[in-house]
Amino acid sequence: MSFKVAVIGDVDTTTGFALAGASYVHVHTKKEETLAKLSELLATGDIGLVLITHRIVEELGIEFRWMLRMKRLLPVVLRIPDKTGYMPAVDELYELIKRAVGAEIVIRAEGG
Amino acid sequence: MAAAAAVVTPTRMELLKLKQRVSLAQRGHDLLREKMDALIIEFFEILRKIGEARASALKQLSLAHRALSICSAIMGTIETRQASKEARRELEVEVSTHHVMGIVVPTLEVEKVERSVLDRGYSLHTTSSVLDDASSEFEKALGLLVKLAELEESARAIARELEKTKRRVNALEYILIPRLRAALKFIAMRLDEMERENFSRLKRIKAMLEAGA
Repeated sequence: MSFKVAVIGDVDTTTGFALAGASYVHVHTKKEETLAKLSELLATGDIGLVLITHRIVEELGIEFRWMLRMKRLLPVVLRIPDKTGYMPAVDELYELIKRAVGAEIVIRAEGG
Repeated sequence: MAAAAAVVTPTRMELLKLKQRVSLAQRGHDLLREKMDALIIEFFEILRKIGEARASALKQLSLAHRALSICSAIMGTIETRQASKEARRELEVEVSTHHVMGIVVPTLEVEKVERSVLDRGYSLHTTSSVLDDASSEFEKALGLLVKLAELEESARAIARELEKTKRRVNALEYILIPRLRAALKFIAMRLDEMERENFSRLKRIKAMLEAGA
């Protein structure tokens, strides 16, 4: 099955991914608008991957997490840094490890 | 524990039944433990892969942003944005599912992320070659991000399953099995006590009979 790619981000991120061939782009301006757009993207069946920048995820806050929990197997939602390379201080993945394994484990690069 | 002991009737039948339940619970517990261990191995394997994939994807993404900035500077921001609207945006991701330890995990694949200049769809004589560079960098980045998305989603699915399994193991280990053991002990003690009572009763009767005879 083939699915399309959607991107939610600032102007530069969306421009770049549109050049690379992403089918849907949404430029984030207001929280409510982006949330509405996101729930629309999650509900339509033809999208396989949603890219969203970390900065926007932080602005959306708890509603975003709820949406993520409620969604079906597809689309896959991936958080990416924007052009400033902004990443949250607490990595979502490490929280996942902490919850799943019950201990904080730091993974270093191979040979590190 | 007292609550558990109160509901069981101290009979031999019940004792046998309880023994069976304990061994069954123990077996289930061992199996779940093994499953958990296997899941943890799988989980860390994927985490290691994520570390590598993330590093390369983020590097490529920052390169792409750099190329795009150069493009905006040379061609102009509005023109770049205009070109991105003209570009053909029909990238298709192939999604299939596979099973890891009985967990459904999506697999994402892109056939052709990197396109030739002619395939991109914007007009060539109004745009600069830096736009082509920016596009190709973003295409590469997108290809890497798709792989990363697949890995992160698998990690999330496995973590969810791991959490569930852990809760079950703990419920068996710390609640169900101790409760059954306590009930078992209660019955064994009660039966022993009854036996002793009976024994002393018989002795007493025997003594009374001998005294009367």
